[in-house]
Amino acid sequence: MVNLPATPADILPFIIALVTSHTFITIVLFPGFIHLMLVVMFLTWYERKVLARIQLRIGPLYAGGPGGILQPIADGVKLIFKEVMIPYKANKPLFIWIPLALVFFAAVPFAVIPFGQHWVIANLDVGLVFVFALTSLFPSMILIFAWASNSKYPFLGGLRSLFQQVAYEIPMWISALSVVLLAGSLSLVDIVNAQQKIWFMVPAFLSFVVFFIAIMAELERLPFDLPEAEPELVAGWYTESSGAIFMVLFLALYMKLYLMSSLVTVLFLGGWWGPAFLPQPVWFILKTLIVATFIIIPRGVYARIRVDMLIKLGWTRLLILALANVFLTVLLLNTGVLSMWGL
Amino acid sequence: MDIAIPPDIAFILLATVTLLAAIMALQAKELIYGAISLAISFIGIAGFFVFLDAPYLAMLQIAVYVGAVVVLILFTIMLVRREVVRETEEHEEGGEGSIGLWIAGLLAVSIAGVAALAGPNLPTTAPPANLPVSELGPVLAIDYPVPLVILALLLSAALLGALVLAKLEKGQ
Repeated sequence: MVNLPATPADILPFIIALVTSHTFITIVLFPGFIHLMLVVMFLTWYERKVLARIQLRIGPLYAGGPGGILQPIADGVKLIFKEVMIPYKANKPLFIWIPLALVFFAAVPFAVIPFGQHWVIANLDVGLVFVFALTSLFPSMILIFAWASNSKYPFLGGLRSLFQQVAYEIPMWISALSVVLLAGSLSLVDIVNAQQKIWFMVPAFLSFVVFFIAIMAELERLPFDLPEAEPELVAGWYTESSGAIFMVLFLALYMKLYLMSSLVTVLFLGGWWGPAFLPQPVWFILKTLIVATFIIIPRGVYARIRVDMLIKLGWTRLLILALANVFLTVLLLNTGVLSMWGL
Repeated sequence: MDIAIPPDIAFILLATVTLLAAIMALQAKELIYGAISLAISFIGIAGFFVFLDAPYLAMLQIAVYVGAVVVLILFTIMLVRREVVRETEEHEEGGEGSIGLWIAGLLAVSIAGVAALAGPNLPTTAPPANLPVSELGPVLAIDYPVPLVILALLLSAALLGALVLAKLEKGQ
């Protein structure tokens, strides 16, 4: 708590107290806004570099820094100065505001992601449901954006995105349920604390696999990138976006990539826990980047799957696997097999 | 560092936004705007749950109503209605919206009537505020199973609504 300044002489101490307060640092610096922007910029460069290495190319190189790591800044400057094309008879307000809303709803869930024992903005009692509730807003907003651009390819892409994300949301939620059963809490901090002895990846391995596949589909990553299938839909639901709008959309997409990777880290990979020679947030970010790498790699390796295969996989395989693992977890918990890890 | 907004002002703002969005949802000429206003009004209701110290309910409100019901409605509108991809400027002149308002008014009156009739029988002690989620489950499943099932019927109403939207177009 910082008291509001009463006299002009109090203003400077007030500002210092404000800037050094834990709330301010967690919201603005880490794990808040600035850290988020830096990691998202890094991820755009990192993805291009990883894909380039898979395909025996070099990737971004000339923008400066080691390996062209300043490429995202160059991209940002370029995109800001490009003309924003708004299609004929597009719905202008929605076309402009939906990308910003997407960034907002991708950034807000980071408030409950614990990057360390004390590096969390808000330890919500219902943190996991908070993250899921906000990410469930994505498909409808994407569809509205696709509709607002008043063009056939984005619209088809938007519809595909909607049914894909809705179909894979359910296995995602249910596979997270077994983690909730193991930890006995919906708070992400409690979930990580429960993994001090063993990562939930081990007792809930099936859930881990299902969750990982489901977030690949949620993020529209290959082999599930049907909503932006280049040969048939140009660029999918963001075909008509250009300039700054395109940049904001990509910001939201990479933020969601980071969010989902950190969610995997929290739920299955023990969050911030690791040998003590590195600080907790470093462990967390390392694990998250490794997860992100595994999400990125298939883009250079696999082909896109068909629509019917996608739907069949989601509704008849993943859903059943996730449900089976919930029963398995209940069984393991009740028979006391997991009691040696204090679960 | 807490910058506290007086709760009354926040409540009035939230109520205004929710009600306006609800009216918009019924009156909007284009169904898409209706669906968006419906989503806003649902988020407003989630805000009320936060005010009532029920964050879990608020989150589920967003996840189920905005994340699922609005998606269902949007999906139906997009798949079935022809005018969604606007090649022409034509709009249908809708009088259906005001019927919706009448129904909403009737519903509100009947709920108020039921509450007035059942008033003496309602429990007078307020449930404990900020009930942890782990205690919410037993309360719902053991103490109030019937209301839970009735509430689940509400969701099927949403499903029916989406179906009606789909049927209207085919019938024309």
